[in-house]
Amino acid sequence: MKLLEINAQPSRTTTWLLSWFLFAAGITAYFVTATKRHRENPDDRVVPTLAQMSEGVYNATLKPEEGAENQSAWTRFSNSMLWQDTKASGRRFLISMALLFPAVLLGLHIGVFPYVGVFFLRFILFFDKIIALSVLPILFIAFGIDELSKIMLIVIGVTPTIILDTFNLTRGVPEEQIVKGFTLGASQFDVAYRVILKQIFPRVLNSIRLNLKAVMLFLFAGEMIASSDGLAFRIALLRRNMGMNTIIPYVLWVALLLFLVDLTMRVLNRKLHPWFREE
Amino acid sequence: MTPLITIDDVSVAYSNKTILNDINIEVMAGEFVVVIGQTGCGKSTLLRLVLGQEQPSRGRILIEGCAHDHPDRHRGYVPQKYSLFPDKTVLDNITFGPEVEEFAMFNRFTPRFRRSRREFQERAFELLRHMGLSESDGAKYPDQLSGGMQQRVAIAQALVMQPKILLMDEAFSALDPGTRDEMQMLIRRLWRETGTTILFVTHNISEAVILGTRVIMLANPDGSGSKVILDSEVYDGLLERIGGLWQLGQRAPSPSLCVTAAS
Repeated sequence: MKLLEINAQPSRTTTWLLSWFLFAAGITAYFVTATKRHRENPDDRVVPTLAQMSEGVYNATLKPEEGAENQSAWTRFSNSMLWQDTKASGRRFLISMALLFPAVLLGLHIGVFPYVGVFFLRFILFFDKIIALSVLPILFIAFGIDELSKIMLIVIGVTPTIILDTFNLTRGVPEEQIVKGFTLGASQFDVAYRVILKQIFPRVLNSIRLNLKAVMLFLFAGEMIASSDGLAFRIALLRRNMGMNTIIPYVLWVALLLFLVDLTMRVLNRKLHPWFREE
Repeated sequence: MTPLITIDDVSVAYSNKTILNDINIEVMAGEFVVVIGQTGCGKSTLLRLVLGQEQPSRGRILIEGCAHDHPDRHRGYVPQKYSLFPDKTVLDNITFGPEVEEFAMFNRFTPRFRRSRREFQERAFELLRHMGLSESDGAKYPDQLSGGMQQRVAIAQALVMQPKILLMDEAFSALDPGTRDEMQMLIRRLWRETGTTILFVTHNISEAVILGTRVIMLANPDGSGSKVILDSEVYDGLLERIGGLWQLGQRAPSPSLCVTAAS
């Protein structure tokens, strides 16, 4: 059967059709189900129709506040629930991402300098096995329910992976390259930063990209349990009111944001490292 | 006159397995010494010892009479693989050495750095042309070059530092025969022009005779670790002699077959 041929080369049209098929099928199945359920129960809120969802999106993005009906669309959007929640989650996300860079440097030093390696590696290997969500109560007790505990959750959940990934990438740099660096007069730090870090950095960025979902997962866990704003807080709040017409657009919005962050990092990686060929 | 490289009674053993046993070699400045031997005989280990990348279990390695325990800018290195930094262009690969030598990490944002960088680049272009490469190759990344071109750049990268010794580990082994011939002629020409002492490791007998002024052959005849079984200036008929020893080496000849004097 041609479909399962290893050497098959789908044409451009076939590739386009097949790659969009599941999207189309999913959307169709959803709206067929929504129509059917609404025929049986016009007040159904579990599978909202397109009109209900449009209303939910309008309420979340452009609905004017009471007494401020004359505001421009942009002002209404910037004061909207969705934008405020996105800003709150985005701030936490950016702080967490910024904290991954010291993790990269630590991983590099563990891989390059044997004394740093023996000092940290065993502890980080153990730390990596701690299930971040299991320490959530401890974090809330220790750091309170403010921002710090949520960021600490992300740090505990993701940084050991990034440290160990960077460590492994560092160890993967051929010894010839390190020796070559020294024979060209490079100092210890020149070799660490100008030879090794520069070579592994595109792969480190890929590793961070692959961990974006984990970052969001821990962020959402923190927001759902203890927060007064943020995308996950809103989803948890709307769940109580069965606000599926807003939850679904929120979920799609989060997926779109994550996709855009991933795409930006991928494009940035390609532009900054034209020599890098992804395996 | 102090030899440039002194390998004095050196042995290397890894967990009860002796790789090199009682090696004694002296290399004078300006020599082109080729070390040959079969796979696994410890040629590359010997090169790593001279490089300072590895330390002997016994004996000592001296460079101009002094011990060195790590690689430095006086010993250039051209390995068979991974000879260039993949993240840098050809030009940046060549200017890397002069740049890191003259400018510490945080001094690269000064106007002096930019001025010096232009000088380094001019020197790099000159070397590129000398290696038979064009200026346009300077903007390419290593993976856009053929194997032969990569090794040309690797040699330029090492020579720009004007090292006392150039250590080459099977540097042409991965090249096709035509390119290898060209590279052999190139390195011979560069050696004559620069007078740099070269220690070249290969398993190719004819390459050893074509390139070197002196050939050192390692073999492990009795399983007690590799020894020098031939240390000879190049002369007509050396190829046949090495060939004979090579055959015997495969059949583990007795130590009495070892030849250590120059012919």
